[in-house]
Amino acid sequence: MRKFKVNVNGSLYEVEVEELGGTATYPTAPAPQPKAAPVPAPAPVAAPAAKAPVAGGAGLITSPMPGVIKDVRVNVGDVVGPDTIVVILEAMKMENEIFAGMSGKVTAVHTSRDTSVNTDDPLVTIG
Amino acid sequence: MSENKLIKDLSARRDKVRLGGGPERIAKQHENGKLTARERLERFLDPGSFEELDMFVMHRCSDLGMDKQDLPGEGVVTGHGTVEGRQVFVYAQDFTTMGGSLGEMHAKKICKVMDLALKTGAPCIGINDSGGARIQEGVDALSGYGQIFYRNVVSSGVIPQISVIMGPCAGGAVYSPALTDFVFMVKGANMFITGPQVIKSVTGEDVSAEQLGGALTHNQTSGVAHFMCENEDETFLMIRKLLSFLPSNNLEEPPLGDMRPVGPVEQLKSIVPPEPNKAYDIRDIINGFVDDADFLEVQPLYAMNIVVGFAKVAGQSIGIIANQPKVLAGCLDINASDKAARFIRFCDAFNLPIVNLVDVPGFLPGTNQEYGGIIRHGAKMLYAYSEATVPKVTIIVRKSYGGAYLAMCSRDLGADYVAAWPNAEIAVMGPDGAANIIFRREIEAADDKNAKRKEKIEEYRDTFANPYVAASRGYIDDVIDPAETRVKIAKVLDMLSSKRESRPAKKHGNLPV
Repeated sequence: MRKFKVNVNGSLYEVEVEELGGTATYPTAPAPQPKAAPVPAPAPVAAPAAKAPVAGGAGLITSPMPGVIKDVRVNVGDVVGPDTIVVILEAMKMENEIFAGMSGKVTAVHTSRDTSVNTDDPLVTIG
Repeated sequence: MSENKLIKDLSARRDKVRLGGGPERIAKQHENGKLTARERLERFLDPGSFEELDMFVMHRCSDLGMDKQDLPGEGVVTGHGTVEGRQVFVYAQDFTTMGGSLGEMHAKKICKVMDLALKTGAPCIGINDSGGARIQEGVDALSGYGQIFYRNVVSSGVIPQISVIMGPCAGGAVYSPALTDFVFMVKGANMFITGPQVIKSVTGEDVSAEQLGGALTHNQTSGVAHFMCENEDETFLMIRKLLSFLPSNNLEEPPLGDMRPVGPVEQLKSIVPPEPNKAYDIRDIINGFVDDADFLEVQPLYAMNIVVGFAKVAGQSIGIIANQPKVLAGCLDINASDKAARFIRFCDAFNLPIVNLVDVPGFLPGTNQEYGGIIRHGAKMLYAYSEATVPKVTIIVRKSYGGAYLAMCSRDLGADYVAAWPNAEIAVMGPDGAANIIFRREIEAADDKNAKRKEKIEEYRDTFANPYVAASRGYIDDVIDPAETRVKIAKVLDMLSSKRESRPAKKHGNLPV
């Protein structure tokens, strides 16, 4: 434990700061784990408190416009081609087919049925 | 010198110029999968039609050792020839001669053919393959670019101008293509204002030349280019194909194609799905009503939610603008508006009738659209359609709602003929939204709100989401059987072929840019 004196707009505050080792555990929220392969959920899962950031890159398929996911057509591990439909996005009263656009294997699914998505929200990663 | 000697001397001089940068550099160009400037022009033009100009032009720079540099042909081959027997002017930069760099006299050669093209009313096609400005010539090189830009603008709307990028095209050089009507890029060519090295040193970003300004980038992401080609030969065929739809200048009519039979097309009945929320490919409809299913799509990879391109109906060249329900639900957005507006203005400038296929749910909602200025971009479509005085024909094949209904060349923007298919829904907004607003109180008051909402949506759909309300006001001229679309369009184009429409005299309008 180290003590610091901090001057904020003329008022002095004494602050105690604990220096932690590399392996310290936190009593707070668990660190976001890399998403495990999502099992097709029987019911819509409550939205996670904070969305785990998804690494961008060439293999990430994002939502082209705001809407609601009507169907996820692929699972992790599926082999897809450019013309494989990965997700059905309902937007503008239309069921829009979102295609993989590339060949590869699905390494992550970032969305689920009935989820509202915004433009550029991650949908599926293809490795 | 005897006459014979004079001719021999002339031949020797010509042979020297024809070798450009010399056999080694020519071999290197071939190694890189590229043809030389002369080979390109020979393959592009009708065989034996090329007539070269300014073979003996030389630079007159003496700074920085340039007085000792001999640059045969000044790094650019210029002249004229024919495509399907029609006159065109051409220039092709010669990468083997000092990297095709642009100096004062190089630019003068290009300007000469541009001036001739304008005076004679023939298309001008430029093949770009250049390292950029010839730095030794300093401000004279810069002036050269300026001279070309100025002529691009003066010629705009008078003769079709086509740029072909077949190598590097960087810095100031990019703006001549940008000012022309169509940009072709072959795979492996690059265009950028500042190259990867400059970007790396200024912002630290690592990006390859291909990623930054390759053919795919400009055809798909930036919208700078209109056509992407696998190789040089394919590029030449595509340019020739494009020219087959275009008149040589703004005073001519587009060339007539061969007459094709005009009759009912039954397959058009089954393309649009019965469910209003299902997508389909609008190009199936286009291919269904144009001659020989032959549609040359412009910018097929950019803003794919709108499809534009050239085709013929009963031999008459037309420009087609169509919503694509398969992409972004067919919404209009910033990029689609820009793409369509520029295409409409090209068609209007060159006497190509416009045929619009409408299936549009509206403008794309979202903060990035609003912040990006969809208001001023969308306005370009309204402007371009209203400004156009060529025959304007609109066919509503399914949805047409709200502002997007107007923006897709409605009667009110001056469409000469508007027809709808029987399944069309023309209204101020979609049934769901409209019913929720109009019948809000009734829905709120109902015991079973969802049932009531559904009932009211159906009521609205039956009453308004059909073509007959618009037809009863005369906003659309007819409701037609989809199978009759080709026949109708052919008849209407024929009826409109003598259309004359004049506008108040003015210097020019103020298109929202």
